[in-house]
Amino acid sequence: MSLAALQKTFLDAVSADDDAPAVSLGMAVYRDAYRTRLLGALESSFERTRRWTGDAAFAAAACHYILTRPPSSWTLDEYGADFSAALETLFAGDCEVAELAWIEWHMQRAFAARDSATLDAARLASAGLEGSDWDRLQFVPAAGFALRRLGTGAPALWTALADTGAAEPVLGEPEENHIIVWRRGLVPQLRVICAGEYAALNLISAGGTLGELASRPDSAELGSWLALWLVHGLFADFALASDQPATALL
Amino acid sequence: MNKSIGRFAGFGLGLRKEHHARFLEADQPVDFVEIISENFMACGGQPLRTLDAVTERYPTAMHGVAMSLGSSAGLDSNYLAELKMLAHRVKPLWLSDHLCWTGAGGRGSHDLLPLPYDDEALDVCIANVTHAQDVLERPLLIENPSSYVSFAQNTMSEWQFLAALTQETGCYLLLDVNNVYVSSVNHGFDALAFLDGIPADRVRQIHLAGHSSGPQGLLIDTHDAPVCPKVWALYQAATARFGPCATMIERDDAIPQLEDLLAELSIARSHAGIKGLAA
Repeated sequence: MSLAALQKTFLDAVSADDDAPAVSLGMAVYRDAYRTRLLGALESSFERTRRWTGDAAFAAAACHYILTRPPSSWTLDEYGADFSAALETLFAGDCEVAELAWIEWHMQRAFAARDSATLDAARLASAGLEGSDWDRLQFVPAAGFALRRLGTGAPALWTALADTGAAEPVLGEPEENHIIVWRRGLVPQLRVICAGEYAALNLISAGGTLGELASRPDSAELGSWLALWLVHGLFADFALASDQPATALL
Repeated sequence: MNKSIGRFAGFGLGLRKEHHARFLEADQPVDFVEIISENFMACGGQPLRTLDAVTERYPTAMHGVAMSLGSSAGLDSNYLAELKMLAHRVKPLWLSDHLCWTGAGGRGSHDLLPLPYDDEALDVCIANVTHAQDVLERPLLIENPSSYVSFAQNTMSEWQFLAALTQETGCYLLLDVNNVYVSSVNHGFDALAFLDGIPADRVRQIHLAGHSSGPQGLLIDTHDAPVCPKVWALYQAATARFGPCATMIERDDAIPQLEDLLAELSIARSHAGIKGLAA
């Protein structure tokens, strides 16, 4: 058997489900280690989600994920990237579970995201932008930036679940929430925002320009939002649409 | 490429997050620390700040678990680029990884999977180690893993395989004494024959760790217990054969107090009959 064929066969056996017979005692060790390591990675990444669902329900969901989503990255840190999406199906009647997992995942990713510069008001003001430059202004999100629309009170749940000694939190009535996650300095941040600010940041993260933002119906808020975004370090850099990188202007 | 790695007769510990603060609040009596490379690759924020602070204070070795040097599909160029970037930041004593493969066909295992010891696997490892050393611009240290299966197609022993790999690529060896012991029990070979079979002049680091007992006498390389007496005895034999080289206690699970690991490191110093750099 060629090495390539051997490695494929071996990996098939290692990642097989519990019902498949192990061909030897040694293979059972590898299979057990595979399952244990991946389960451990999910438990580590989704501690609060696990606390909310309970150990048994979490373990069942994690085992399903492990069987259907073999790891493909060299880093175990990436393994839970699709877990919240999988939970949307597995906990279809409990939408807060997937939303909680989404928050937990992105807060952890923000914690260790690659470093980026911070764009503040002084840096933007010193860029020498004039006239139509402002309409073409685009913003580059900071390290770990992510945003999402939610249908439950998952943000409050996420906060409450941090206290492991407290009584189990209670989930309120379904409610629409919009959140952003990013890292400010070394600390991951979570902020609940209104629908208008969410739409504006969604446009920015898709490459929208300041001119496009200004043409939106709720543009009256734009000035105050922009000031807040710059104070909070939401952006790493800026650019001018269809032009050279804005840093060339500095 | 700098083709040689000098001897470094220090005694060190694997850096684990449970002990980050202790390593930074005061100088600990270690000659070096070893980081898991993947824990700090492609990341930033607090983990990288902690790494910078540690590497300012302690000589640092970088130990990898995901290069997959035995992969028939070759190496991941993105992985090598990230590793090289980290090495540029850390300026490590050396880079090491394992004689194993970790994935195939786009699927990973996050485990150190065993290779058959035959000519095809040797050719694959020679090509991969050579490629990695060219990209990283430095020789690697290759570690012997523990294993729980062996292959009918083996045409040579693990130590013959390692000896050939060092000869063809110029790589060095990280000898994991616990892994030699575990594999010797699991596969019924003479651990001393392993030590005699690898080239003494290529060993630059030794790992010491604990293991656990599995079913039907199988030993499992769990790194969750102190080093056992039989591994200490094998370590004494190793130091007698290989002379001074860096020795490290490797603990990955059931992490004890730092004092417990420092006490174990003192035992290593006494077994080696030398005090190391910081003692």
